[in-house]
Amino acid sequence: MASFCSRRHFFRANAFSLGSLALPWLLSRDGVIAAPTKPFTGSESFDLSKKPPPRFGQAKAMISLFMIGGPSQMDLFDPKPQLTKYHGRQFPGEIKYDNAAEASSKVFGSPWKFAPRGQCGMEISELLPHLSEIVDDISLIRSMRTGVNNHGQSVWALHSGRSIGGRPTLGSWLSYGLGSETQDLPTYLALTSPHGQPLMNNENWTAGWLPAVFQGTMVRPVAPHILNLDPPAYLPPGGQQRQLELLNKLNSDHHAQHAGDSDLDARIQSYALAARMQTAAKEAFDISGEPASIRKMYGLDQDHTRDYATRCLIARRLVERGVRFVQVLNQGQSWDHHGSIRGELPNRCREVDQPCAALVKDLKQRGLLDSTIVHWGGEMGRLPVLQNDGGPEKWGRDHNTYGFSTWMAGGGFKGGCVHGETDEWGHHAVKDIVNHYDWHATLLHLFGLQHDKLVFKRNGLDATLTDGQPAQVAHGLLA
Amino acid sequence: MPLLRFRTALLFPLLLTVAGAAPVFEKDVRPLLKAHCFHCHGEGGKKEGGVDLRLRRFMLHKTDDGPVLTPGDGHASRMLSLVKSGKMPKGEKKLALHEIALLEEWITAGAPVLKDEPEAIPAVYITEDERNFWSFRPVVKPPLPPGEGNAVDAFTGEKLRAAGMDFQPEASRAILLRRLSFDLTGLPPTPEEAEAFLQDASPDAFEKQVDRLLASPRYGERWGRHWLDAAGYADSEGHEEDLPRPHAWHYRDYVVRAHNEDLPWDRFIAEQLAGDELAQVKHETLLQRIHHAGVSEKLAATGFLRMAPDPTGGSVADANLARNQVMAETIKIVSTSLMGLTVGCAQCHDHRYDPIAQQDYFRLRAVFEPVYDWKNWRPPGQRLYSLYTEEERKLAEQIEAEAKQMDDERIAFAAKRLDEIFLERLAKVPAEDRDAVLAARETGHGNRTPAQHELLKKYVEANVARDEGLLELFDPAANNKRKEKQSKSTAHRATKPKEHFVMAATESGTIPETVIFHRGDHGQPREKISPALFEVLSPPGAALALASLPDLSSSGRRLAFARWITGKQNPLTARVLVNRFWMHHFGRGLVTTPGDFGALGGRPTHPELLDWMATDFMEHGWQLKRLHRLILSSRTWRQSGDPQSNPDGERLYCGWKLQRLDAESTRDAMLAITGKLNLHSGGEPVPVARDLATGRIVPGSEIINPGNGMIDKITSAAEGAMRRSLYIENRRSRPLTVLDTFDLPVMNPNCTSRTLTTVAPQSLLLMNDAFSVEQSGALADRLQREAPANDRAKVARAWSLLYGAAPAPLDTARGLVFLHELRASLAAAGRDPVQAASEALTAWCQVMLSTNRFLYIE
Repeated sequence: MASFCSRRHFFRANAFSLGSLALPWLLSRDGVIAAPTKPFTGSESFDLSKKPPPRFGQAKAMISLFMIGGPSQMDLFDPKPQLTKYHGRQFPGEIKYDNAAEASSKVFGSPWKFAPRGQCGMEISELLPHLSEIVDDISLIRSMRTGVNNHGQSVWALHSGRSIGGRPTLGSWLSYGLGSETQDLPTYLALTSPHGQPLMNNENWTAGWLPAVFQGTMVRPVAPHILNLDPPAYLPPGGQQRQLELLNKLNSDHHAQHAGDSDLDARIQSYALAARMQTAAKEAFDISGEPASIRKMYGLDQDHTRDYATRCLIARRLVERGVRFVQVLNQGQSWDHHGSIRGELPNRCREVDQPCAALVKDLKQRGLLDSTIVHWGGEMGRLPVLQNDGGPEKWGRDHNTYGFSTWMAGGGFKGGCVHGETDEWGHHAVKDIVNHYDWHATLLHLFGLQHDKLVFKRNGLDATLTDGQPAQVAHGLLA
Repeated sequence: MPLLRFRTALLFPLLLTVAGAAPVFEKDVRPLLKAHCFHCHGEGGKKEGGVDLRLRRFMLHKTDDGPVLTPGDGHASRMLSLVKSGKMPKGEKKLALHEIALLEEWITAGAPVLKDEPEAIPAVYITEDERNFWSFRPVVKPPLPPGEGNAVDAFTGEKLRAAGMDFQPEASRAILLRRLSFDLTGLPPTPEEAEAFLQDASPDAFEKQVDRLLASPRYGERWGRHWLDAAGYADSEGHEEDLPRPHAWHYRDYVVRAHNEDLPWDRFIAEQLAGDELAQVKHETLLQRIHHAGVSEKLAATGFLRMAPDPTGGSVADANLARNQVMAETIKIVSTSLMGLTVGCAQCHDHRYDPIAQQDYFRLRAVFEPVYDWKNWRPPGQRLYSLYTEEERKLAEQIEAEAKQMDDERIAFAAKRLDEIFLERLAKVPAEDRDAVLAARETGHGNRTPAQHELLKKYVEANVARDEGLLELFDPAANNKRKEKQSKSTAHRATKPKEHFVMAATESGTIPETVIFHRGDHGQPREKISPALFEVLSPPGAALALASLPDLSSSGRRLAFARWITGKQNPLTARVLVNRFWMHHFGRGLVTTPGDFGALGGRPTHPELLDWMATDFMEHGWQLKRLHRLILSSRTWRQSGDPQSNPDGERLYCGWKLQRLDAESTRDAMLAITGKLNLHSGGEPVPVARDLATGRIVPGSEIINPGNGMIDKITSAAEGAMRRSLYIENRRSRPLTVLDTFDLPVMNPNCTSRTLTTVAPQSLLLMNDAFSVEQSGALADRLQREAPANDRAKVARAWSLLYGAAPAPLDTARGLVFLHELRASLAAAGRDPVQAASEALTAWCQVMLSTNRFLYIE
């Protein structure tokens, strides 16, 4: 007890001798001071200060339009005349069902038509008329593969490099490796659907075993997107600054007694960030000032697109303000069309097609597309054979993680490019295969990072996103 | 020498294995083949190309292209050349180089096996090694390592010392009591409790505190909540509509009571799985028996089987799918909470990583089939049982009859008046049409001929239907009288005793058959299957049937299952439970995946300790409070300080790892410290509402405008708003904002371990949210009341309330300076001195409630 007290006194005295640890953001905002100071946080601390990548990286930010459930590639991105030709007949090859039990093996030709689009002539389905307008700006990967069984595992693979939970997600790695371009907003944000949380909830934006300061922050799906941005009315001018100064002193003392606890460190930083967000976030999330032309372009004026349009537009505003990684997530696994695909897939497409295309166009017209990667895709695709053989209205398709499509735009990805192929049935990726770890290596490369060099020391070992897998940068995708 | 070794290898492969020189089939090669190859070569009756890789014996089979395996000769083994060339496995997930190397090494070494292979293998083949997976092995009490008085310390201490570390010194009494109070009750100690503990010089002072807190009703509220996570407790049905589930709280209260009474967990579990069977009731016979001793309690326990989201009381797109989903989610809750297994994937196919076949999944489903009976589905509303007593029911019926009489009188009154009005008006109709008009009026609206409709249109003045609502139009004064009568009958009805319902799992007497669903699709039924245990948990040979028990009106399946679950042969449940208890004491489990003890889950850091506690728990009557005492009195739990910087320090329990208060404790502790906490226990939850102005979810009720169906306003929940978080309505789609922000889990369908975040919205809430400001104001008032003398006294009182400690001189000085400065700023902003003083104190209290010293448990 006595020794504990004296230790505390030591840190108190120590902290006191450092003088008042003013909160620089507030004071500098008021022009009082300019020099940044850092709270005394003990042996090891992690923060979101901007860190230049070791090499040139064209990408500065990424918006991941993640479509959990598995959008059907042969109905959207990867035309397979063979399926139409053999529609209703026995599939001649061997189907890799997502596991041993067998579904129907009747070939299911796409009910939708494909046509060449844009200058490049990329073939896209009629379900995505708006995407069809921007094909010259995207790289379509038709050879994605995770090869892991199920939604959860495959989502993990694409978020965190491995098909197991508990690992840090891509946004956390980027925040860890590059820090933040903004000190006014969280640099890793998740925009979820007003209709519900995505499959696996906050595991989608977890920092895993990276320090807590790198975890994603979920934005409320309905306005107000961030609560509590106004200081309480009873405080006098400057009152909250005084509160935060005092709080910082108390928390720094406390942290000194528990040096090395990354959570305490993260919480101290979160107050600093919260203070700055009070002005920045309100402005960032307020889309009311966006001109009518932009609102129309995204589809804010239509019921079926309004929700997704709102989030795409917010995503653009966030990236404009220096946010590193924005994840836009659908509810549950709403692209998982085991049945009724003829009715349901068009609905899903109608909700997102226009807003997603508008996002790319808008980033481009603002000169942001060069430095912003836009990703559109799910954790899997679907099988060439039909499932739920109870009449056309019930038809669906089962999981397929062995070959599916994803598109990328901006940040150094080539425009008008089709990369990779699946076999003639659209079942297996057969050419220029992009595994989840290859995808990660490519993304990190565009950010100026190397997948095997971006390491975090963990229990004495070098941990990485790609985790020792034979990841290759997909150079064919690079501009 | 090399020659000798070679010979030995050929003759005695076993020796080589023991020496660690070569891989063996069971341990090294089979898991690799199971993950990559069995799927087409052995499992589910599939033997592509006639190749079965499940036994070494089978691999000696020769294909047209040569032998699959030639022990000792990689070149003559097709299995090796095919994986090397990448032709196998056919999928894209190829073997990694080190896996191929291992396979080659094994073949070159003569393809050694550890044991004789069985003569024949069944369709579902579970190997010795799978049965020997750590969590499937029988729990055996290991010997206690010497040297420590406390069993927990004996195991943790042994590992610590082996790693060159030791326990940290015991934490100070102030820290210990705060840690203990939050641990057992989710609330901080009061300054008076802290003082009493500090003054208690008796050798068992700490144990007395443990006993005091275990005896507190707050204990069951805290530890009951932990179990409610695993059970997936919510006050709503989930999915898009998320309809309210107004009677779920009986189950919540049952869980809290069970904890407070230290109900042995074998009984606690059995009642939850089969309370209806224990009480010998069925759906049809229930109402006659519900007031027999213990019946309603046991029924409330079965609420456990009603916790899964169930949207079938509302509109669902595919009713059959929704019903089967309710069952699947229930199985998920049962298996993760009680067995530590994720079996969901075996609904469609054999589990890829754990030895759980699709048959196993449906065997377990068959245990629950009679409750759910998806083809004769009862939606949530038909799974409720009234708790009315005979007297209450009679009284209610009497009141209803009286009210009905009042209604009849009112309707007659209105009809009489309307008739009078009609006759007055009929007099003005030409005489020749009067009879026809009269007849038209007497004919109901729907039955009138077109001519009668025309007639009444013609004499619209005389169209006075005998509809009491019309009185407003014709005679407002009489209508007021009518309305008066109406409110009287309404008021009279309100005097009925409140009818409560318990939501329960029951069977209806018929036993629906369970069939395997092809690919998990209920539209593709296949062969029938009977209730039984998973094969891997059954004695070798066959799945242990969960046969019905004699003398039961129900199927007895769940009771049989419950007996196995709480029996000694079960290797899982006691381990899973003590691991979860451990997690709630230390912030993480000995197995870090409390809901998954399978191959993809974590391995215990202290397997002997886990097994020792599991057996001890079972041997001593499944009493949780006894286990608490053991853990809490250990040096392991009572240590001070942080884990050493040594990366193993945290894993081995060298020092106490700081824990953040969870959502409920954060809110409850704030209310306790400000003195506002309402400790009313149990009963209906406090409703929540969406605050119109801010979008926050707050305690309160939404008043709906009957005209447009929109929310008119929110009424505050008053006293209820200050109840413990456990008692705030837990709607899946609208979690209380304060709790949500601090990581209250969404029950989807349950939560086996919470994840905590550290994000800016939490800071914003503490800085700016009305809840934070209100509680700070309440704390300021309390300080003003309890420490009126001066600022110094207030600072000291606040420190003891919040942290159970005295402020250091520097902390006091900082507080005084802050208060002084804030008062000056407030005065400058025009506040009078009294207001300035109170607001300055509020501002300081807000800082105190935002500190990490408050938010974390040291």
